[in-house]
Amino acid sequence: MSGGSARSLGKGSAPPGQVPEGLIRVYSMRFCPFAKRTLLVLKAKGIGHEVININLKNKPEWFFKKNPFGLVPVLENSQGQVIYESAITCEYLDEAYPGKKLLPDDPYEKACQKMVFELFSKVLTNKKTAFFGGSSLSMIDYLIWPWFEWLVALELNEYVDHTPNLKLWMAAMMKDPAVSSLFIDPKAFRGFLDLYLQNNLEACDYGL
Amino acid sequence: MRFCPYAHRTRLVLLAKGIRHEVININLRNKPEWYFTKHPFGQIPVLENSKCELIYESVIACEYLDDAYPGRKLYPYDYYERARQKMLLELFYKVPHLTKECLVALRCGRECADLKLALRQEFCNLEEILGYQNTIFFGGDCISMIDYLFWPWFERLDVYGIADCVHHTPALRLWIAAMKQDPTVCALLTDKNIFLGFLNLYFQNNPNAFDYGLSC
Repeated sequence: MSGGSARSLGKGSAPPGQVPEGLIRVYSMRFCPFAKRTLLVLKAKGIGHEVININLKNKPEWFFKKNPFGLVPVLENSQGQVIYESAITCEYLDEAYPGKKLLPDDPYEKACQKMVFELFSKVLTNKKTAFFGGSSLSMIDYLIWPWFEWLVALELNEYVDHTPNLKLWMAAMMKDPAVSSLFIDPKAFRGFLDLYLQNNLEACDYGL
Repeated sequence: MRFCPYAHRTRLVLLAKGIRHEVININLRNKPEWYFTKHPFGQIPVLENSKCELIYESVIACEYLDDAYPGRKLYPYDYYERARQKMLLELFYKVPHLTKECLVALRCGRECADLKLALRQEFCNLEEILGYQNTIFFGGDCISMIDYLFWPWFERLDVYGIADCVHHTPALRLWIAAMKQDPTVCALLTDKNIFLGFLNLYFQNNPNAFDYGLSC
């Protein structure tokens, strides 16, 4: 299982050769959460694979021949068949490879997983409106916000770079007076988290 | 709802697979309160079986029907071909929104040249697929799930007033013609005048729009 920590290929790089027999290749990027989905399934099912990281800020021209959308993850097998869109790659791997089935066999249970996924995707893409409830901030935004505040506090907010609508939403939320007045101090949060993970009883009072 | 393209997908699959079913139409402008117990946002289509299991999102419902019921499989057996059909669906994602926007613009007497241009571009992408594959249907030489999932919007091009958007896409026009030969598609074709009657009432905000054409 090679290449997970290899340097990414960018513009001007030579296109990689054919995928060796017995392996499946995944075009990925080490910090992309969508590609992470595919890597998780490959690992969970013990599927022999190689990883080629793509420089998403400087994409190689040949990459668009693999996926016209130019996005990762993309799977390529030794027959040159290409599959893209993270959810499609994951389902393909589950169907095509033996071992533990990750999706349920029961049609209704499988449909339930897909319905939950759709709801989750709506949160991630939030295509239609500036806020989750419409064009102005409302209850649902406050209900969702705390988990995204964690991202900011842990300085992980670049993870939303690939979901621009979510990034815009976060920026808009941080301007809200209620949100900004209660904003978690990153240092305090890290201090708390460190102690909390050590099961230290003083964790909750860190910084007081 | 008799005129909803998303629900149309599910009705096509039910008929294509010969699945016994009953239809309950929902008045989308005046939804019954109980309907929100079936779908959190009150959307259609929703499937409900005798075990009270609910399935929503048209694509998920269609796949569920294909999985759960015997007989003719609409998705291919081959995993890669199945994945290919799902990737094709991604290519289609802008079409419903664009066709709706064109309809609304035309009905409100607004310009929609830009929208039609964008729609034509999407159709060009689909045309390329048919050209590259050199097949009549999107899944091969026979009609399959992906064709049924695309169809409702193409059936509506004429009544929406945007049939000219396929002028430059001959393979797509051949596909439309082939689809109209399919017994399932044929059986569910809505009469143009009834559809226009519905659209007229709908854009006048008439709450009875959804029942246009039904004799009570």
